[in-house]
Amino acid sequence: MKNLLRVEELCREPILDHISFTMDSGEMAAIMGPSGSGKSTLLYQVAGMDQPTGGKVYLGGKEITGLSEDERAAIRLQQIGFVFQQMNMMGNLNILDNILLPALEENRVSHSRSKKELQKEAEELMQKLSVAELGERSITQVSGGQLQRACICRSMINRPEILFADEPTGALNKSAAAEVMDAFVKLNHEGTTILMVTHDSKVASRCSRILYLLDGRICGELLLQKPGTGTQKQREETVNEWLGKMGW
Amino acid sequence: MTGILKYGVRRTLMWNDIRRSRLLSAAATIFMAVSAMLMALTVLLGTNLLRSIDTLMEQAQTPDFLQMHTGDLDAEALEEFAGARAEIRDWQVSGFLNLENAGIMLGNHSLADSTQDNGLCVQGQKFDYLLDLNGALPEVQPGEVYVPVCYRAMYELEKGDVMQVGSREFMIAGFIRDAQMNSMMASSKRFLVHPEDYETMREQGQEEYLIEFLLEDGVKSSGFAASYTAQGLPANGPAITKPLMRMMNALSDGTMIAVIFLVSIVILLISLLCIRFILRLQLEKEKQETGMLRALGIGKKRVRQLYFTKYIVLSVCGAAAGLLTAWLLWRPLAVQMQELYGAPQGTWRIGMLSLPAVFAVEGIFLLSIRRTLKKSEGLTVLEALFPVQEKRERRRQYLLIGFVTAACMFLILVPGNLYSTLSSAGFVTYMGIGDAEIRMDVRGDGKSDAEAAWIAAALAEDPKTERCVLLRTKACQAVLLDGTVCDLKVEMGDHTVFPVSYQEGRAPGQETEVALSALCAKELGVTVGDVLTLQNSGREITCTVCGIYSDITNGGKTAKAVSGMWEEAPAVWSVLYAAWKEDAWKQEGAQRDAGSEETAKWRWMEDYRQLGADVTEIEAYVKETYGQTLSQIRLASDVAAGTAVLIIFVVTALFMRLLLEQNRYTVSLQKALGFSSCGIRRAYLKKGCFFAATGIAAGVAAGNLLGERLCGAVLQSLGAGSFHFLIQWERALLLHPALLLLTAALAVRVGIAKIGRIRAYECCMGKE
Repeated sequence: MKNLLRVEELCREPILDHISFTMDSGEMAAIMGPSGSGKSTLLYQVAGMDQPTGGKVYLGGKEITGLSEDERAAIRLQQIGFVFQQMNMMGNLNILDNILLPALEENRVSHSRSKKELQKEAEELMQKLSVAELGERSITQVSGGQLQRACICRSMINRPEILFADEPTGALNKSAAAEVMDAFVKLNHEGTTILMVTHDSKVASRCSRILYLLDGRICGELLLQKPGTGTQKQREETVNEWLGKMGW
Repeated sequence: MTGILKYGVRRTLMWNDIRRSRLLSAAATIFMAVSAMLMALTVLLGTNLLRSIDTLMEQAQTPDFLQMHTGDLDAEALEEFAGARAEIRDWQVSGFLNLENAGIMLGNHSLADSTQDNGLCVQGQKFDYLLDLNGALPEVQPGEVYVPVCYRAMYELEKGDVMQVGSREFMIAGFIRDAQMNSMMASSKRFLVHPEDYETMREQGQEEYLIEFLLEDGVKSSGFAASYTAQGLPANGPAITKPLMRMMNALSDGTMIAVIFLVSIVILLISLLCIRFILRLQLEKEKQETGMLRALGIGKKRVRQLYFTKYIVLSVCGAAAGLLTAWLLWRPLAVQMQELYGAPQGTWRIGMLSLPAVFAVEGIFLLSIRRTLKKSEGLTVLEALFPVQEKRERRRQYLLIGFVTAACMFLILVPGNLYSTLSSAGFVTYMGIGDAEIRMDVRGDGKSDAEAAWIAAALAEDPKTERCVLLRTKACQAVLLDGTVCDLKVEMGDHTVFPVSYQEGRAPGQETEVALSALCAKELGVTVGDVLTLQNSGREITCTVCGIYSDITNGGKTAKAVSGMWEEAPAVWSVLYAAWKEDAWKQEGAQRDAGSEETAKWRWMEDYRQLGADVTEIEAYVKETYGQTLSQIRLASDVAAGTAVLIIFVVTALFMRLLLEQNRYTVSLQKALGFSSCGIRRAYLKKGCFFAATGIAAGVAAGNLLGERLCGAVLQSLGAGSFHFLIQWERALLLHPALLLLTAALAVRVGIAKIGRIRAYECCMGKE
């Protein structure tokens, strides 16, 4: 879909200053910028977690700014997936139950899927992201990388139109971060639109587009080849060179 | 199928949460259960008592109005009065043969020291029945006696024991409940004998008459009492109405129920606070999880519902446990009242009445929980996801320890102070009795005036007496400015010798002054400085109200004036008060080799009994009249103290444990920076003890000042207006505060015991 996400003159005083951009279906974009530039704040506004002080955000052609908290919650549940830097999961549920939690909540209203279908979908997702064998474990019995991949499964369980991720590899080591990024790329290849915030050029280089934020404004944009095409080294060099020009 | 799919989100989260925080869930359930139990017990015992009294009064057909009378009885005038009054359903005159206590033996116990007027009577002819323990009319045979049930446990009596009156022996054939005089607060006790025996015993005592009336439904007994008095009918003795009898019956056991009610309110408040605090800490601890749920798109209401479900289940468990415990405790606690008043009708229905009380308590809990949950929804998703440390909030939470210790101190002090006040010698001044040591009652016929004067003269001459006074009670009518006439019994004499407690004004000093009891002043609608006309034998005196005093005797409606008014009019009864010299009994004991001070006192009182006075040592009178109530207050006070200590321990330990959990990161960081476990522990201990000590100080102030007002308000309704606590300072200021502080310190220490187990490296591993 063209302009799946449309951001117009978005403000969040005093951090964001009239930001506008759009994203089409199937895109995988990264927001970069120095600390305090407003990356995470921008992500929370467009994901409907906070109410901006000005501007508009459209998701699938529908304006989400100006909606009530409950209406935005419903959109987050049905149309949006979100992955946090800290792998937030319910401590008193196992991994599989954590993944199923949003699906069951969504199903309470829509009754669109049977319990068996839900279980099957969760297991397929876990299989896809290589965490199938962890379903019965508690969240303290898995590694950081595994937990983050489980979090991605949870964010995907309601088949969202777009997936937001805030520093998804920020709390992970190199190899775990690579595993998580592989998972994102895989999902993007299957058609999931992804917008993530990162300060890691390696992570950003796996996206098709990078927006550079400085002092609450977008001051640069880099378009790359579709994720998975070209060598990773070349992509990283291109990104680092561009970031150097931006003053990174 | 996985847990969440099988049992649903709500049930899975709830059970997992309960399993994860067993201690907190158990604590919340216990708080809910104890509150429900106490409230249910208040309802069960209160309803039981009132129903038992009502059932007994109904079965016994208690009169609506009773006039006691000593001396000649004008039966014709009574018949004429009763015949002319449509509101009288029935009436009768019963005899009461007042016996000399010294001549009565119940089993192996002499009633010589009894302060009650014990006497014989026969079964009521038309109503006012004395009932056996099955609620039936006992069939008394000649030579048999039925004894008031209150004496059964007091003197360890059984059927078949012997009661001796002078040289005559009666076989105790059973025990009776007397709807009028069951309570130890009633000053007379009736023994039921066969009419033949009554006739033969007539010479052994002084006969008094109970003139009793049953009124038509809806007729007010107070209004009837006024019209009876206005007719100048036989009234040489106190008059009493049905509501007063009911109140007297309810008062002794009612005090215990009132204390349980007070304790249940305090416990409910503390429990509400603790549960709110447990919930807030849980929300604080799970703020990020809640934020995450909301970020995932689960609405505020649904999150609230997820938390609320757990508390609904806990409250159902608490209600069931509380109800069950209350039902189990109800019977043992009601044993005494059921012995006195019998089992109430509709026990099943009384049991059911506790349900609304429990529902109300649990409803209050759930409302408070809902409110706390709603308040927590004020945070945005981001605020919940990324909480900011709130130092001020933490300090405010410490205030909880202060609040709970203050409430517990209050809980200990009020029943304790009430007990020390009621059991102190000075309390009699609230009862309309001067602070004397000896009271001598001279009742009876026309001779009583001369007899009383003679005893007064003997007392004045007695070397052991320090001071004494003769007070004569005379009947008169008070005429208000609007012309209303009310019956009034005025006690005349020097009221400055043994003054009672004056709520307002002072004792009467001149012939034109009168002091009124608080209830009397309220009923007459007068206050200090107002003018009142008193009438006796056609002579009117205009008096100024000079004082209002506390009185809970004779229904709380009395008056006091100096001698001189209607000097010639006969007294209805006379009372002499006396105080012994400080060292009177030590000298006496040495001179006569009497063996003990008590024996010497007994002999002295016996001498005056021979002169015709009913002699009572006031300390013994109070003990006998209020002993039962006092022992219940004592029990309630001990239970309150135990409960308070338990609450402080549980709440403080729980609070400190949760606070430590919340501060885990900080403690770990402190350790990483080189602080020792001992040092950190000391800091927590200091802070905890500081807040506990502040709370205790506030509780001491509230318990002594606010508690005094609270008890004063209750006693004021009974006629004792100027109530002041007589505080045992060493207990109130030293012993109890020290006990609570020690408990709080111990609880803080237990709550922070885990400090040693928090590792320095934890702070490097994750966020707080």
